[in-house]
Amino acid sequence: MNIVGIAACTSGIAHTYIAKEKLLRAGKALGHTIHIETQGTIGTENELTKKDIAEADVVIIAADIKVGGKDRFQGKKIVEIPTSIAIKSPKGILNKIAADLGCS
Amino acid sequence: MDISTVLNSNRINLKLDVSNKEEVLNSMVDMLFKEEVITSKENFIKDVYFRETEGATGIGDGIAIPHGKSSSVLKTSLAVARTIHPIEWETLDDKPVRFIILFAVRDVDKTTVHVKLLGEIAEKLADENIVNQLLTSNDASEIITIFSSDKEEEFS
Repeated sequence: MNIVGIAACTSGIAHTYIAKEKLLRAGKALGHTIHIETQGTIGTENELTKKDIAEADVVIIAADIKVGGKDRFQGKKIVEIPTSIAIKSPKGILNKIAADLGCS
Repeated sequence: MDISTVLNSNRINLKLDVSNKEEVLNSMVDMLFKEEVITSKENFIKDVYFRETEGATGIGDGIAIPHGKSSSVLKTSLAVARTIHPIEWETLDDKPVRFIILFAVRDVDKTTVHVKLLGEIAEKLADENIVNQLLTSNDASEIITIFSSDKEEEFS
């Protein structure tokens, strides 16, 4: 799968970055292409490109707060989860999404 | 990456002999206070507990990352502790914690450099190998080296 996503937590200091890294590692381990943007206390990093989004089969929003720029994902399949799920079982959530999309 | 601006060996205790979460936080806040990172233990710990109410800071595998963004913080910094006994904590895997990283973050950080460093350190906790090293290393300078290691190419 081609995956794009956003990670954002309440204080934007720690969980955001752990969630991002867990999703990236799980995505790569499972053979997916994955880009994750972080919206933290210091602002947006690794901003998703138009190309990343255009090519994405699914958008994962791992967030405990409202994220910015959701309008970029119009027409895309969006999966919203709390950061805790991304941290606790990143591979589980990716496998579930792949199964739901029929590309497992 | 140079993390000396946010962590030094005076704020790492790998043999913390306490029995509960409150004692962990009190000891770690003491380390920060002695190093003049925070101006008030009471105010800082209040902000740490406020964050605790917003969701579990135990991220699983024995690691917890309590943090406080607080006006009592003079310098965005870390304190690190490993406890001799497993400590009951609110965690994502319902298991107790042994390794705690307390993040003290300035309310208004003029530069984002330090906050960015904290994010990069948090990121490392997604790596099982790093987590295993943190849970077993007996040397404070080794802990600093682990946190300082540059990112693996493939994930940059």
